[in-house]
Amino acid sequence: MRGRAALPALVAAAFTAGAAVTIAVAARGLGDAQAAASGSIARMATELWELSGGADEAAQSFLDSGFAIEAVPAPPASRAGPGKPPSGPGAYAYRAGSLQPAVWIAVLPQLREFPLPPTATALALLGSLLMSAWAVARRRAPPRPGYPAIVALTATALLGTVATTTHHWADGELEALSDRHAGHALRAVGAALALGADPERAVRVAGLPWATSAALTRPDQLWTMPQDVGAALAALPTPPTATPFTVEAGSATWHAGLVALPAPTPTAPSTAVHIALLGYEETRAPTVPLAATATAASLLTALILFLLPLSARPPLLRRTVTAWAFLAPAALLLAIFTFGPLLFSLWISLHEWHLVDPVHPFVGLDQYHQLVLDGDWWAALRNTAVFTLHVPLAMAVALALALLTRGSRRAVRLARLALFLPGITSVVAIAVVWKWLLNDGYGPVNRLLGSVGLTPVAWLTSPEVALITLMAIGVWMVVGYQMVVFQAGLAAIPRDWYDAARVDGAGPVQRFRHITLPGLRHTLFFVLVTSVIGSFQVFGLVYVMTEGGPLGATDVAVYHIYREAWEFLRFGNAAAMSWILFALVFAATWLHFRLLERRAADA
Amino acid sequence: MTPAPRGVTLRGVVKRFGSVTAVADADLEIRPGELMALVGPSGCGKSTLLRLIAGLEEPGGGEILIGERPVNDIPPGDRDVAMVFQSYALYPHMTVAANLGFGLRVRGTDRGEIEERVERTARILGLGDLLARRPGQLSGGQQQRVALGRAMVRDPGVFLFDEPLSNLDAGLRLRTRDQIASLHQRLGTTMIFVTHDQTEALSLGQRVAVMDRGEILQVGTPDAVYRRPASLFVAAFVGSPPINRLGLSGTDDGGVAGGPFRFATDPPLAAATLAVRPEDLTVTPPSFRPDITPPVRADFTATVLRVEALGSEQRVHLDGPGSATWIARTPPSLRVDPGDPVHVSVAWERTHLFGPDGSRVGAPPRPIHILRDS
Repeated sequence: MRGRAALPALVAAAFTAGAAVTIAVAARGLGDAQAAASGSIARMATELWELSGGADEAAQSFLDSGFAIEAVPAPPASRAGPGKPPSGPGAYAYRAGSLQPAVWIAVLPQLREFPLPPTATALALLGSLLMSAWAVARRRAPPRPGYPAIVALTATALLGTVATTTHHWADGELEALSDRHAGHALRAVGAALALGADPERAVRVAGLPWATSAALTRPDQLWTMPQDVGAALAALPTPPTATPFTVEAGSATWHAGLVALPAPTPTAPSTAVHIALLGYEETRAPTVPLAATATAASLLTALILFLLPLSARPPLLRRTVTAWAFLAPAALLLAIFTFGPLLFSLWISLHEWHLVDPVHPFVGLDQYHQLVLDGDWWAALRNTAVFTLHVPLAMAVALALALLTRGSRRAVRLARLALFLPGITSVVAIAVVWKWLLNDGYGPVNRLLGSVGLTPVAWLTSPEVALITLMAIGVWMVVGYQMVVFQAGLAAIPRDWYDAARVDGAGPVQRFRHITLPGLRHTLFFVLVTSVIGSFQVFGLVYVMTEGGPLGATDVAVYHIYREAWEFLRFGNAAAMSWILFALVFAATWLHFRLLERRAADA
Repeated sequence: MTPAPRGVTLRGVVKRFGSVTAVADADLEIRPGELMALVGPSGCGKSTLLRLIAGLEEPGGGEILIGERPVNDIPPGDRDVAMVFQSYALYPHMTVAANLGFGLRVRGTDRGEIEERVERTARILGLGDLLARRPGQLSGGQQQRVALGRAMVRDPGVFLFDEPLSNLDAGLRLRTRDQIASLHQRLGTTMIFVTHDQTEALSLGQRVAVMDRGEILQVGTPDAVYRRPASLFVAAFVGSPPINRLGLSGTDDGGVAGGPFRFATDPPLAAATLAVRPEDLTVTPPSFRPDITPPVRADFTATVLRVEALGSEQRVHLDGPGSATWIARTPPSLRVDPGDPVHVSVAWERTHLFGPDGSRVGAPPRPIHILRDS
């Protein structure tokens, strides 16, 4: 049963991985194309703008057809996109450009060199074969003839379908974009010629990749228009403003463009959606819907693969379907509100995702790499680690308090209540009150110190002291909660163990060491793990009390991430940080489990 | 190897929990090497008494001596006692070996000696293969033996058992009972054994102390407790099936009477209870006509309600005498059926009469007049 249940899961995993690779390659190509197109069009616009001095009607009409000129300041040179960030007047055009089309001509040959569907299909076939062999080996019962083959064929067919669909989609997308780009380029040539530019300059303005006899060649070889073509163009009685057109030059016939191009309409399909809001702009690239569609397709396929082996046994199928029908609402909520955002943040972390920048170029693990070299981020992590040292201290205090406040006397009950209160009070309220108490000038704590002749301490304004102050408040905040948990743990230790130990001659210290501590091990583990995780995520205290200061002394990881995202608006970077923090928390928890829980399991 | 067994003496020991008196003025002398059973219904204070001896409870008054030494102010670990708990109270995070050796370890005993003693104890109890396991991996019987071993390993002067058999199934309980008895013979240590099961107490204890509501009602050999119960409570608590009782009320001439019986008492009693063990009744089937051929004198007649055939014996439930329902233990050869009228005679020399306060009244009663039913 286990093997049968694991098989579809593994097949689904392999399939999803294959589909993801396929889609990633396609999306990557598309992203590159978009970036290249952006650069190319920006250059055209810049050249035309300069050529016309920003005034000529022809240039303006060209620009108007695809661009909206806005008088916004040049963006910070933060983007490391392909090509240099433009400067000068053209920067406006670049900035305002709807960075939509892709240079099909530039990309497709590369894409063609990677025979995507066959490779993906071969990969899937190989994976399916392995999986089938494994399944046959695992099954205790004699394998039903054809079962592995069905799995293999289904996986292959599905992956092939996804690969082909993806390929066609990318292909079509790039073709459409290239058409538009070629149209832009040709109209730019026309505009440049009309402005009186010499043919060579016009060619340079367009930067048009050329095609010979409709056969596509590598773009780097043909990025510049051949001289004789330029001359032939110039010799035309009326400059071509629409495609296709043919120029005879030298011994060859040059075809420009592939299809006739209308001026780009705002509602053209697969045009990137351009959003302008309060000075910020964002362009939603079509790669996101693609990814979403692919993910949905993968999930659907996984589901089919999961149900496939069950369909041989209708009662089991019915039970499974019923079970999932009941699970579906919760699973859906989890997927939308937990796993969805999680995966989306992973996606963001692989892109340069700046809120004021409409393009989100794919940068892979670059941001992670940059973070490893980022001293501020390391300092934030170090501060977080130091802050986390308050957890063992708090636990020791909480355990002592739990032992001291056992029983049900009135005073003890009141003490427990008093100690527990900080745990149920809003962090912000606590932070505000403590901020006031510890204020350098008018804070009661320092005034008290002063009144007994002690030097006031710069609790929150000295880089040496601030983090320690926060740690102390952290202890104070969690100690009551931990104490209550410890008390529950203590109550669960049978009194007989203590009695037996007393008869065995164990003193109070030995009883604590041999009975209380081992009896509390699960409780200690629970408190340690939850407290360390909570400490890694400390934010409210820092946000209200020190804002990471003084001099970054209390800049903890989550606060650092918050600032990166909401002050500097670098979401990609912030997402990468979040994932690093997640990895650290995960690793810490895993270590706890390994070191502590395994020992406890032995006990 | 085994230290001299120690006696335990309680003098006027009192223990109160708030307003509840768990042990009231208990006097008890347990001789060195004796196996003493403390028996009574739940809540009678027998466990508290044991915990007082162990030092797990502080007495509210009185004196406890172990051997010659008063131990009121001595902590449990230094009293030279070991205790086996009802729940076994094994330390779950330690191996069997560590459980056995814990008492020695906390005393700082030399490691080699701990090992040797643990091994010896394990051998005696057949725990050799289990030393590396943890309590959670053992069966109930094995856990019980580990608990026993933990007590034995320290060679204490006194063993205390708090209901050690109550968590075992019936078969295992019998075997463990034998094991404890043979252990006692072998070690010769003083053992005090708390149980609510009177059969267990009678079968194991050299002497039995019966408790109720914090008071020790009677201390004596199992035979003495069974045959000469000091009070109605002891008579009723000890023995299975329970002793037959009949309420008697005072008569004008200073005697007591009830059902078909009438007794002279001195001094006169306002009320009394007659108690007769089931085996002290002789049932004669109706085919014998004692009025015609009187080989047996019939003390009363009754109707059979139910017959329990238990193989080695037979229990006959009777609808008399008077308004009481008595049970007679008869040989299985007696042929009676429900509804049969029978004649019953009483071995008067083995019957008991208890006064209105439940205390025993003098010698076994002799009826001065038997009212014939008919």
